[in-house]
Amino acid sequence: MSENKENISSPKDNTPDSNYWKSFKELYQNKSEIDNNASDSSSIDDLSSSGLSGMSRRKFFALIGASAALAGVGCSDYRDKGEIVPYNVKPEEITAGKENFYASTCDACTNSCGILIKTREGRPIKIDGNPDHPVNKGKICARGQANILNLYDPERLKEPLTGGSGFYSAVKWDKADKEIQALFAKANSSGKEIIFVTHTITSPSLKKVFDDFKEKYPTTKVYSYELFNSEVKNSAWLKCYGKGNFPLINWNKAKIILTLEGDILSSEGHKVETLRMFTEKRDVSKPKDYSRLYCVEGDMSVTGMNADYRLKLRPDAQFDFVMSLLNEIVIKKNISNSSVSSILSAKLNNYSLKSFAEKYGLSIKTLNFLIADLIKNQGRSIVYAGNSLSEETHIATNLLNEIISSEELYNKEKETLSLQKLSNIKELVELVWKMKSGKVGVLVHFDSNPVYHFPKNLEYESGLKNVETIISLVQLENESSLYAKYILPINHTFESWGDYKTRTGLISLQQPVIAPLYNTRQKEAIALNWLAQDAAKYQANFYYEYLRSRWEKEVFPVSLTQLDFKDFWNASLHDGIAYQKDESKIAFSFITASLADISSSPKKSEGFSLLLKESYALGDGRFSNNGWLQELPHPVSKIVWDNYAAISESSAKELNAKTNDLIEIEVNGQKCELPVLIQPGIAHNTIAVQLGYGRSKTGIIGVNVGHNANVLLSKEKNSSPWLYSNVKISKTGRTYKLISSQEANDFDNTLTKDAHIKREIIREGTVEEYKKNPAFLKEEKKEEKESIYKVHEYRDVKWGMSIDQNKCIGCGDCVAACNVENNIPVVGKDQVEKGRNMQWLRVDRYYAGTSEEPIVSHQPMLCQHCDKAPCEQVCPVAATTHSPDGLNQMVYNRCVGTRYCSNNCPYKVRRFNFFNFRDHFRNGIYESPVLSLLHNPEVTVRSRGVMEKCTFCIQRIMEAREEAIRNNVPLKGSDVKTACQESCNANAINFGDINDKESEFSEYRNHELGYYVLDDVNTRPNVTYIAKLRNISSEEK
Amino acid sequence: MKNSLLDYILRVRFPVILFVVIASFTITYFASRTERDGIGYTPAQPINFSHKLHAGQMQIDCKYCHTGVEKSRHASVPSPSVCMNCHRVARKDKPEIIKLAKYYNDGTPILWKRIHKVPDFAYFNHSVHVNKGIDCKSCHGNVDQMDKIAQMNSFSMGACLDCHRNAHAKVPESTMLKNGPENCYACHR
Repeated sequence: MSENKENISSPKDNTPDSNYWKSFKELYQNKSEIDNNASDSSSIDDLSSSGLSGMSRRKFFALIGASAALAGVGCSDYRDKGEIVPYNVKPEEITAGKENFYASTCDACTNSCGILIKTREGRPIKIDGNPDHPVNKGKICARGQANILNLYDPERLKEPLTGGSGFYSAVKWDKADKEIQALFAKANSSGKEIIFVTHTITSPSLKKVFDDFKEKYPTTKVYSYELFNSEVKNSAWLKCYGKGNFPLINWNKAKIILTLEGDILSSEGHKVETLRMFTEKRDVSKPKDYSRLYCVEGDMSVTGMNADYRLKLRPDAQFDFVMSLLNEIVIKKNISNSSVSSILSAKLNNYSLKSFAEKYGLSIKTLNFLIADLIKNQGRSIVYAGNSLSEETHIATNLLNEIISSEELYNKEKETLSLQKLSNIKELVELVWKMKSGKVGVLVHFDSNPVYHFPKNLEYESGLKNVETIISLVQLENESSLYAKYILPINHTFESWGDYKTRTGLISLQQPVIAPLYNTRQKEAIALNWLAQDAAKYQANFYYEYLRSRWEKEVFPVSLTQLDFKDFWNASLHDGIAYQKDESKIAFSFITASLADISSSPKKSEGFSLLLKESYALGDGRFSNNGWLQELPHPVSKIVWDNYAAISESSAKELNAKTNDLIEIEVNGQKCELPVLIQPGIAHNTIAVQLGYGRSKTGIIGVNVGHNANVLLSKEKNSSPWLYSNVKISKTGRTYKLISSQEANDFDNTLTKDAHIKREIIREGTVEEYKKNPAFLKEEKKEEKESIYKVHEYRDVKWGMSIDQNKCIGCGDCVAACNVENNIPVVGKDQVEKGRNMQWLRVDRYYAGTSEEPIVSHQPMLCQHCDKAPCEQVCPVAATTHSPDGLNQMVYNRCVGTRYCSNNCPYKVRRFNFFNFRDHFRNGIYESPVLSLLHNPEVTVRSRGVMEKCTFCIQRIMEAREEAIRNNVPLKGSDVKTACQESCNANAINFGDINDKESEFSEYRNHELGYYVLDDVNTRPNVTYIAKLRNISSEEK
Repeated sequence: MKNSLLDYILRVRFPVILFVVIASFTITYFASRTERDGIGYTPAQPINFSHKLHAGQMQIDCKYCHTGVEKSRHASVPSPSVCMNCHRVARKDKPEIIKLAKYYNDGTPILWKRIHKVPDFAYFNHSVHVNKGIDCKSCHGNVDQMDKIAQMNSFSMGACLDCHRNAHAKVPESTMLKNGPENCYACHR
């Protein structure tokens, strides 16, 4: 190196120097250039263009030495492995890597199910039903399962805002609260009203807060509403029996069930409880005790899908139907009940079942079965009219139940309670009038969204403009908060205290399981703080203290406990529930005077009738920012991310409309555009539309998804708020694409028609058949085929699942549970269209028969964990292999994404990550850091380019194995419950050890009705399906 | 025949380069193996805690501090509150204990440098191994003789399988031990 240094430090004149030179040019003329080069790169001079050629041996070795040293240094440092950060003071109950469970109460709807929240290291990761809860007994619905995503919603409001007309700025809680207090005082002193608009009040402590509020500010009024409620049914009950709400029904004692437009299995009443009770009577081990479900409905509902007999009838003709039935039973068959007076015959004379059946094309044969069954099973049969039917239909139904002695099926000890009656339309009209005439000083949207939910012609929105101050308490901004001066962010349920009383004898507690993620407060505490002397002295435990002291004064004295209060409180908190001494006040003596108002001649029903229904997944739209629910396929139509106008094929032909055509629906001058879906099994001239979509203001997930059909609601007096007749329909000529997670059924294609039956994907029988010959399904003994695949030995446990299709109603709650447990991403509508849905478990729905009278079957489909798995044979990198306990393993870190396995899977249950879907969906909203708290830490979060599928909840299997090893006992099949099994309201899914012949599971595995899907491809699955038995009349066939 | 340039490249240059490349790769591969596996990794810790003193001299059982090891996937590093059980009284004046007390009193967590790590996609479970009677030493080495905690064994998949396939040879002290599972779902899910 030194040589070169000398070379370049030579004098800068044109005299030759003593060093080496290659040319005269270099020697005399290029000095300055060489100098420049040298000063630029004095340290790496041997790499300069001129230097290289002159590289000496010494320099070469210096270079080699330097690079070797560099390489050595580069490799010698250990890879940093990060840090381990223990708690500073470890909470006693937390063991890193172990979950804790807390009992609480779900507030996703008004049923107040008891829940168990599973937390890991202090963050909630999974919700399941509380097994100790006497009503929901360890089960909850899809909304309850997916509610956890709302907690971690990245778009939740993070701090209080103030402002107006679209411009808001952050404000301190203290400042906002003080200003609001001043507003309350001003309104109160000037005699203006303070209005709270809330959803159904199910919490007695919240009611007390409102009562306290009314005491301090006497001009306070509380309005509560619910978009879907059972008010019509309850008011009919009140007319017929004088007291109480419509009673609870013991579905598990019913032999014959007739539902009239009543979707008991998915949206009406306490779905979780109904479903459990209903499926108790669908037990293949007791074929003599099977219930029979008749369903008369216009829309194709989940209940209709599961009916043994289904008759389609436009919803506005239901009243005539009930009256005709009454006519047939009371007059023709002369079955009567002493309590029914003589005025009845006068009412019924104009109705005739025969002419009714002819008019609406109902099957006389089925009706005869129905009548025979109702008469034969008096006291064990029940007729249930849906919430959306008119009051007189409910009265007539109550009468029919009275005649067939259904009151024996009513639950006489327990009833549903309402703490405060919902405001009726008259009160709401009055409210809007008060708002418009400037009589309202402060209006608080107490976690409610009336602008979206109220009928447009109520003119609530224009009323808001005349209200001095509007305050919105919300988790996410909504349509109503747009008008607010103060938008106050509230806690999620899992961050809140609370109590719920919705049923006699029972009160449930809600406890927070995580500290508020943001600068939010729980809504009850906000209201309490407004009542405080100094709003700046807010404490996070305000509402806790309030709740506890109310429990001490009001709940503890009437509770059934021997403990002192402190222990009682702790015990209630632990269990999530407390039992109370209160008796049902419901009356069961029929008041005949109620019959006076019902009409005595058949009505004309013309034109289209419109039925507005609650969205199965989103409810009334409160859950529209929940991607998991948006992507949960509708149980019947399998449509995702949309609502639609469901019409029958015959109506579609008359309208000359196809699926995806946009039509305009007009009711009483209110218009709404909706895409058409041709739904098999829907009644002629009936449109069924789900509400809860088309939100114009919410988070990025739910905004403008589907169409807002709430605009069709009307304040005008109508048979019921959800049912309209004489609806006008016109085609717009435009189209809108609906996306279904399952391909449309083609009834006319002879190749695909009934393929599921021909290929024995779905196998069914009847109860009669089974009673006669339990082995009817396996009549023709099939020989086990040879297989060229490797034989595996299963020495210890071999995992298997059985799915009882008698119990499965196809609701899809298991899909929601699987999504949460296994970190399933949301992919979005465009990706579902491409068939890139990521749900590991799907519920397939099949139609047989004709489009007008379809026979519906459904089947949960998941990885079958075949013994002879075709996927395993084709993986070039052995990323999917067989385990000694019979599982088909999928190893993500080995997968290179050839997708051969998916191609070779006969069940099409493998899912490929075409993208990193969390990043791809809606600009990566689900990639937000807060969402990582949601993920199950026991399951890998998969990224782009890998295949995935159902693992039989391997993390739960491994946990059970760990537990068994710790206790030094052998692992049993019953130790493991998969997420889908745990969530199944109907207990249709069983999981266990195939090799354990003594177990309960083995009965299902080796059941006479058990079969494998696609048995002929010889994959020998570990999932057994129990064939469905339809309980059709013994006189049939 | 005169040697062309190509001849020279093919016969001399190319083999030499190939030899150098292969040789340097092979040497580096084997020479750096222990380092890549992390064997001998002894980073500086925020507090100079000595396992030799506590586990060796004092004979404190591993489970006294690593409480999760029998119950959970994680053995868990004790929180300062556990240390303070003794050190509220013992050796209060030592500089390292003063440091510890400061962490504890300020409520700031201690960022211990992590020594042993399996990749995120491997779900290793401490409780299963410990409850099967495998000594901590089998994987972690003689921690009771370490003044400064260091990694002694490889935690690669090869190392896991080596034991799972030859349990008797690798863990002679536990006579009842059968070979561990070798299927993928045993660790990956």
